[in-house]
Amino acid sequence: MHTDFLSYMSDDAVAAVVSGRTDPAVVLLSDTMRALRGAEADTGESVAGVLLETETPAEMSDGAFDRLMAAIDEDEFGADPTWKKAAASAGSAINELIALPEPLREAALDAAGDSGWRFAGPGIRILPLNVDGRAEAEIIRIEPGSSTPRHTHDGVEFTLCLSGGFTDERGSYGPGDLSVADPGVTHRPTADDGEVCFVLAVRDAGLRFTGVLGALQRVFGR
Amino acid sequence: MRAGQDAQKKLSSTSDPASAAGSASSTRGQSTSAGNGAWLRGGAISPKGALSPAMRERFADLVGRIAASKDREAFSEIFDFYAPRVKSYILRLGADDGLAEELAQEVMISVWRKAHLFDREQASVSTWIFRIARNRRIDALRRRRKPELDPQEPLLQPADVTPPEKAISARQTEDQVRAALAELPQEQVALLQAAFYEGLSHRDIAERSGLPLGTVKSRIRLAFQKLKTKLEDE
Repeated sequence: MHTDFLSYMSDDAVAAVVSGRTDPAVVLLSDTMRALRGAEADTGESVAGVLLETETPAEMSDGAFDRLMAAIDEDEFGADPTWKKAAASAGSAINELIALPEPLREAALDAAGDSGWRFAGPGIRILPLNVDGRAEAEIIRIEPGSSTPRHTHDGVEFTLCLSGGFTDERGSYGPGDLSVADPGVTHRPTADDGEVCFVLAVRDAGLRFTGVLGALQRVFGR
Repeated sequence: MRAGQDAQKKLSSTSDPASAAGSASSTRGQSTSAGNGAWLRGGAISPKGALSPAMRERFADLVGRIAASKDREAFSEIFDFYAPRVKSYILRLGADDGLAEELAQEVMISVWRKAHLFDREQASVSTWIFRIARNRRIDALRRRRKPELDPQEPLLQPADVTPPEKAISARQTEDQVRAALAELPQEQVALLQAAFYEGLSHRDIAERSGLPLGTVKSRIRLAFQKLKTKLEDE
């Protein structure tokens, strides 16, 4: 498997991900996949890092640091409010979400506190994430041995294994592996035995994936 | 509800035609302006004063101390260096001073809270904080606009290259990117800044710089390839 798919992409596709210009769901998919694979900083990301450190500093207002520390102290010794919001949402599998890699964890906790999980068949729960853009993203929790409903797609669907493992018509997938289902393909991921499987699914609303996702599809589509 | 959301209306999109026209109108067609990056909002950054390896190690140590013991002195040093730079980055994206300060503060809170997730083997502190700032920017723009990738962009096709076998560490990559960037002509740095840092599309860059679209594409490709070539050579 490819460690870092950014190295397969054109410079413009890399720039679109690194700078955050592309669909937020795509940035999330890219960051999560690279985090799971332990990918090192891409050349494009390092360029952005260098430009940040050589920026002309803008003046912060007086006492900015003290106000920040006061806000941190006030907020229960620095506990993340997103977590508290998510914890307040009953039955949200909070410990499992905390184990997710950033930045997906933050998006998941935010969504758990907002819309929350919805039941989607025996052993299946779905957490839609709050992302803008043409592509939508959700986390699917699959009990061992359970399957998502058999489904087809108008567009391409990317299914990234986050933890546990699943098997579909194309093969078996572990953490960091990506399954790409083309339009019209019927696919039905089934969680492997022994462990709850979490996946991140990204798809567009009936539009054909182009750009970054098109490139991903060519690298990973089989 | 996140703190940035109420202010997101003020954060102009980089694809906003009005802001594009505003900054491009006086420079369009002037090759000297295109060359020195004066068409970039806030001007071009010179990457020559990048952090030395020793300073980068120091900042990585400081983030380690925040992670290990919530060390406020370490955090204060990180804050003093990065908060004003993150604020500059956000100002470049079109935010006003108040919003830029607010988002910079949010980024620094994330640095405090997520310090344990920083891995010095994978990225420098600068690269890591840039990622946090970029995600905060995406968040602030949430529900405000549709991203504007042009499906016809030919360069959005996958690169027709075999990626090099990674035999060097992230630390070496970070070293070499700094060295390579310092040697690039300012004109090429400005184009990389527009594409990788500010997230302007090729079309936006063409409009603002006054350069033809084809020239923008080929120059960015050339500059990025130069960086990667330098990396492979060393």
